[in-house]
Amino acid sequence: MDRMDRTDGYDALDGMAHGERPEYGERRGRPDRTGPALGTGRTDGAERTEGMDQPDRFERQLTRLMHQDRQPAAFENRHREALRAGVRARRRVRAARRAAGSVLAVAGLGLGLFLWPHGRTDDRPTAPHPRPMISPSPAPSTSPSPTPTPTPPLSPSAPPSSTSTDSPTPDDTWTTSAPPSRTETSATATQWPPSATAGSRDGSATPPATATVSATGEPPDEPTSAISPSG
Amino acid sequence: MEQTRAGEYDAFVAARWSVLFHLARLLTGGDRHRAEDLLQESLVKLWFVWAKVADEAPEAYVRKVLARAAARSARRRWWGERPVEVLPEVAAAGDMSATVAERSRLEAALAQLTPQQRAAVVLRYYQDLPDRQVAEALGCPVGTARSHAARGVARLRRLLADVIEPVG
Repeated sequence: MDRMDRTDGYDALDGMAHGERPEYGERRGRPDRTGPALGTGRTDGAERTEGMDQPDRFERQLTRLMHQDRQPAAFENRHREALRAGVRARRRVRAARRAAGSVLAVAGLGLGLFLWPHGRTDDRPTAPHPRPMISPSPAPSTSPSPTPTPTPPLSPSAPPSSTSTDSPTPDDTWTTSAPPSRTETSATATQWPPSATAGSRDGSATPPATATVSATGEPPDEPTSAISPSG
Repeated sequence: MEQTRAGEYDAFVAARWSVLFHLARLLTGGDRHRAEDLLQESLVKLWFVWAKVADEAPEAYVRKVLARAAARSARRRWWGERPVEVLPEVAAAGDMSATVAERSRLEAALAQLTPQQRAAVVLRYYQDLPDRQVAEALGCPVGTARSHAARGVARLRRLLADVIEPVG
């Protein structure tokens, strides 16, 4: 049986019908060559490659053998069933892959949206933290007052008169800050270490301090007596 | 539409099964069961592209899938091929016909080749493809395909020296 005995009828890759097949020399693009026969020493693949023009006897026999031993194999029902089962299984696999891909895509999208910054964020640098009006330590660089004043050493038991004499320094500090309001006064009062000093300062320096004191709901007798030294 | 497509596909498979099965058997070195699996896998792949290749070259597509799957099958565990010094199947006189004995020797010799060499040899000497199309089917350069085929044939020369008689 020769290779021309094939019954497949066409070669789809070549795009030619069976009878249109060219001969070996044409098909492989090589000139005719009468090579040595089998067993004459041509066992090296490199030799075969460089001088490969036309099939030698061994190659012809090999081609014949390959076409000769074809066994008739009918396409049986079990093959058809197995093929359909394979198609169904592959279809399921593809659907599962598609579903998994969709889930991953949705999850990735959701994660991206979750990590996306919400709303309008303030990227500007924050304002410096408010410094105390008078630092507890007499550091000249951080104190806004031109001359460090020994205000902290003042004890609550100090007489109001001495406080009123030292009042220019806190007064200068007060003018550099924001205008006093009721809340700020109370906030500032918390920053002053001794409450007695704050009270003396408020009472001696500015009238709004009096309003602050009155706003606390204390009896008007005591603030009046505290204001009286300045007035 | 689906019925028509399925009918055409079934007709193609039924008509070409024998040829494709023989090709798969040569590509697997005579392993019938593995040849069936290989062909089955290739035909399943063909089903999903049938609409595209039905009017062009469905058999070429199957051949390419078969050759590539067989050529890379050495990397798969279920392949299980290992080279041996002596051919495992030797034709015993009297229990087989000469044709069957030759076929067994050929399949046993093909099984001794590497998958790439076997695919190149089969595509070249059974499918009569030129080097360029062998390389295209295997997905490798032409020189590589030529080298695989040449080395495979050189090895077959040694293995089949007593089957294919030298010229007297």
